[in-house]
Amino acid sequence: MAPPRTYRCEAIILGYTPLGEADLLVTMYTRDQGKVRAVGKGARRSSSKLVGHLEPLTVVKMSLAHGRNMDVISQAEVTQSFAELKEDLTAITKGQYLAELVDGFGAEANPNPGLFQLMIDCLRVIEATKGRESESASDMPLRFFEFHLLQVSGLMPELYNCVECRQELEPDAHRFSPNVGGTLCLDCSPDDAHLRPLSLRALKVLRLLDRSGIVEACKLPVDAGLADELKSLLSNTVAYWLGKEIRSNSFLERLHKESQPEVYI
Amino acid sequence: MTQENIPGAAPSLARLVQELNRLPGIGPKSAQRLAYYIIRLPDEDAYALADAVTSVKQSIVFCEECQNLTDASPCPVCADPRRDRTTICVVEDPLDVLAMERTRTYRGLYHVLHGVISPMNGVGPDQLKIKELFNRLERPELAEMVVATNPTLEGEATAMYIRRHQGREGLRVTHLARGLPVGGSLEYTDETTLTRAFQGRQEI
Repeated sequence: MAPPRTYRCEAIILGYTPLGEADLLVTMYTRDQGKVRAVGKGARRSSSKLVGHLEPLTVVKMSLAHGRNMDVISQAEVTQSFAELKEDLTAITKGQYLAELVDGFGAEANPNPGLFQLMIDCLRVIEATKGRESESASDMPLRFFEFHLLQVSGLMPELYNCVECRQELEPDAHRFSPNVGGTLCLDCSPDDAHLRPLSLRALKVLRLLDRSGIVEACKLPVDAGLADELKSLLSNTVAYWLGKEIRSNSFLERLHKESQPEVYI
Repeated sequence: MTQENIPGAAPSLARLVQELNRLPGIGPKSAQRLAYYIIRLPDEDAYALADAVTSVKQSIVFCEECQNLTDASPCPVCADPRRDRTTICVVEDPLDVLAMERTRTYRGLYHVLHGVISPMNGVGPDQLKIKELFNRLERPELAEMVVATNPTLEGEATAMYIRRHQGREGLRVTHLARGLPVGGSLEYTDETTLTRAFQGRQEI
């Protein structure tokens, strides 16, 4: 029996690019098919039934038809619009950061329901904490996302034993490298350009991210120094595995700098 | 597409196909069709096309005021003394100016950003004509800025950035109304648009 010509799915819209006169080439991450790129015919026309249902950072139920080269979106209906998140520039940029990472890590025809749910959970928390960018804790949803992105992608860093000598890590400062797969004790010093110091406080937060849910992790009080260390460590680790720069990071950093009060010396 | 991809084609024809293939939305087959169409054109039509491409590249500049594409700066809109200089309408793209002018409703000035902030594509405020906009906002006669970016995620984010960073006190900052398109259908309208349409309801 021939496979059905159409299928239904639940998807998070990651982005789109204009295609032809009035079409959109939509990139989405679905629960059951992984990353999908499909055409929204006539979706740029204001009278199209697809208008407003294909905006990035929106969860959509849709029907698609298998095409010769690319699937075609036949119906789409928003189930979660994250309307409040989209009222805040910093929250939007955080959502775009997540979308860029899911686009980079997600693979076509390779479903990962854990990644799908992780993005929805993080968007919900970003929406709930929007407007609090002066608090370092408000970036914890991004750190939680980066850590669990590595976990659901099979790239979870080792946090309990030295990756070289396999000895259990003492409660002390250590070193970390994505290249060797996680944490190293001070006695082991491989020749590795990605090696960086890891404070005991940062190691404890990473272990907490491993054990706790997003709501609990995002309540953790984190001072500016620790937040910077975690951001640098996790963001660089994700970029290392992605193999390229995360472009939305620079605009996010710019917004953070602009939101901090200027210090005159 | 390279010349090797078109066996038996003359080098000059292969070059034309190659150049047409670089245009957005033009694939290899379309490029070949267009190239053969150009060859079959009467000489004067083909030369007129080539001349139009050459002259547009030689004469088109950014308007020093609104940053729209023009062949004389300031552009006809900015140079027109009948335009209302108290209002400036900020749009993403030169084509948006044409769309607004077709309405014959707006008589103020424009400012063209030439894109939207798109962090995922590496486009930030510095790649757009936002600094030029903020310089224009200093003019004392200006009373209102209408941010007419598209109601997309990136268009809205760009509008928020402009609103947050414009430093002119007392300036009225507005955006176009959100709601239902003429010929649209409530059944297919997304919840955000419908909510905004309801919030902006008017007496009949």
